Amino acid sequence: MTATENRPAQTGATQTGETRTLTLIQAVTEAMREELARDDRVVVFGEDVGARGGVFLATAGLQAEFGPRRVFDTPLSEASVVGAAVGMAVRGLRPIAEIQFADYMGPGFDQIISQAAKIRYRSGGQFTAPLIIRTPSGGGVKGGHHHSQSPESYFTHTPGLKVVMPSTPYDAKGLLKAAIRGEDPVIYFEPKRLYRAAKGEVPSHDYTVKIGEGAIRREGTDLTLVGYGGVMPDAERAAAALAAEGVSVEVIDLRSLVPWDRELVLSSVQKTGRAVLVSEAPRISNFMGEVAYVIQEQAFDSLLAPVGQVAGFDTPYPYVQDKVYLPGPNRITAACVKALNY
Amino acid sequence: MTTASQPTPNTLPTTPPSSSIEPFSPEPLRWVAEDGRPVRDLPARYTPELLRELHHEMVRAREFDRKLVTLLRQGRTTFYAQSSGMEATQVGLARSIRVGHDWVWPYYRDHTLGLAMGVPMIDLISQCLGTNSDLCKGRQMPHHFGSARQNFVSISSSIASQVPPAAGNAMAQKYLGTDEITLCTFGDGATSEGDWHAGLNMAGAAKAPALFVCENNQWAISTNLAAQTASPNIHIKAKAYGMPGFYVDGNDIVAVMEVCGHAAEWVRAGNGPALVECLTYRVGSHSNADADAEKNYRTRDEVNSWLARDPIARIEGLLAHLGHPVDAEERANLISSVHRAVDADVLKAEATGQPDWRIMFEDVYADTPPHLRDQAAFVRAEQEGQK
Repeated sequence: MTATENRPAQTGATQTGETRTLTLIQAVTEAMREELARDDRVVVFGEDVGARGGVFLATAGLQAEFGPRRVFDTPLSEASVVGAAVGMAVRGLRPIAEIQFADYMGPGFDQIISQAAKIRYRSGGQFTAPLIIRTPSGGGVKGGHHHSQSPESYFTHTPGLKVVMPSTPYDAKGLLKAAIRGEDPVIYFEPKRLYRAAKGEVPSHDYTVKIGEGAIRREGTDLTLVGYGGVMPDAERAAAALAAEGVSVEVIDLRSLVPWDRELVLSSVQKTGRAVLVSEAPRISNFMGEVAYVIQEQAFDSLLAPVGQVAGFDTPYPYVQDKVYLPGPNRITAACVKALNY
Repeated sequence: MTTASQPTPNTLPTTPPSSSIEPFSPEPLRWVAEDGRPVRDLPARYTPELLRELHHEMVRAREFDRKLVTLLRQGRTTFYAQSSGMEATQVGLARSIRVGHDWVWPYYRDHTLGLAMGVPMIDLISQCLGTNSDLCKGRQMPHHFGSARQNFVSISSSIASQVPPAAGNAMAQKYLGTDEITLCTFGDGATSEGDWHAGLNMAGAAKAPALFVCENNQWAISTNLAAQTASPNIHIKAKAYGMPGFYVDGNDIVAVMEVCGHAAEWVRAGNGPALVECLTYRVGSHSNADADAEKNYRTRDEVNSWLARDPIARIEGLLAHLGHPVDAEERANLISSVHRAVDADVLKAEATGQPDWRIMFEDVYADTPPHLRDQAAFVRAEQEGQK
């Protein structure tokens, strides 16, 4: 954990007051619990989220606390889950729909891109669908390709959706609350390998993390390392390893992909002159391609080296080769060294 | 909302408490024969005054169709999907719900439903022309309107994509403790989509107050019902979702109002969802995209056989049978008054002008993210440079 990981600057909250150490998944649960208590329009549903509490236990205890009217199981149908969320949101609720694994968003895809993303636009603002789709994504849990994929780029390509992915408990709670209180559909990816691996201080008081703002996890002057979601701990490990060699790496966690914090990334790259972008999604049409494009367009004169990218490979996500596929600290470090030696 | 799992077996849908309106009838339920004579007792509410009002609405919709096809041929709009032949189904449906109280998730061939629900003609015309008077701000292709005043949700072209949201809309109505229902309409082709199954299954499991209505006009562009499904009809599919399925003659407006009105109140009473299949016929082409259907995929004889079962002729037959015939002069006056009204509204809509480029960047989100601000600035510079 770095000193800046839980900085509350974006929240308007003060640093006074009590905090607890939570895991990322506990922070997700706590956000839902508090929002269910705060706003009667909030409902939580999906496959096995009720008595079972979800396959990862993100909704554990919520049905017991709020009852089956507020927290309930649905038929095994992602199109139903997402579609129902659209209708509920249009009629005035604040639905939080869980898709059990991001790999199963396919059957709900048309509901997301044709209904959720477009109803505000196509109706001239007469109808809106403020809903949240929470879904665990990413690899590192020995799940093979139907339990490990990172499909966020599909959704960043559809105007009308906001797309976020926290990597810390603090952000997990703050971003989810911001999404629930917002007016737009939000696809909220949860990096599942950090569910219990990421622990951090979470304030007891109410706060939100503004969608669209990134966070500097570590300040540095020689190179900017940009990532989001599950790769962040490895990015910080790489930065720490380079620090031991006397290299000062600035680490940025995007947190939000749509909209993303261009200002933060550009000002960092203008300072360091080098950028390496890290994600675990396949490389072709990876969201980081957009980040790289904006860096070369807006900060070309500052660049001392080509923008580096560490991504997943353009294969289906493999089962046995999990560790080879994922960008680890060594691969990230090597990409930084390449940029530094250019 | 569904409750924590209880291993109690479901039962097949019970018969709604009505002696004459039975679900799963082998033949479409009918009140008025093709020649206009009642085949069942006509409920007292069908006074000559009401029937005349319904007749006027049906003629208005038919002539609206004709006028809009003319506008299309003049190049003043770019797409139009006629609902001629389906007036009894759509006008009857509007009379079966509480307009402005209930919610509607319609499909793209529902402008007659919209008109009958009181969406002003100029709103529909403005949407078809994409003018500044368009409530949807010129964002969608013609014929895909929406109107918050009537809770008539803006139409999506993606077939059956309105069905799961309709289930959710109904779940929200139940959650909020309202006495509203959600009407969801679709054509026969939509019933082949996965989303159709997903929506009906969800509504059934949640016992949501949703009324699903299939406007079975027997053609999905060029694919007929027999090629669409091996099922002999649509309404029997309701059994699989634990809801009653009603089969009604969709060209008999009395039958549509009786059955859909009954089903709507059964749904409103908290019994769960219901499905109604209105058997009707699309006498026109799907759209301007297949302007001469009879040359390609169906026979003139088939169309003629359905023209002979025209829903407007049937209500005129009923009025004549009741001793209140519509004479030629009345019909001609009615038609010309609709034409004049459409002409006036077209001019009024066109006079509001086309929305400018700024509209393109609004309503993507509730706020305007930086990337959209930049893109809007780019277009502004481009547009101002051209001046």
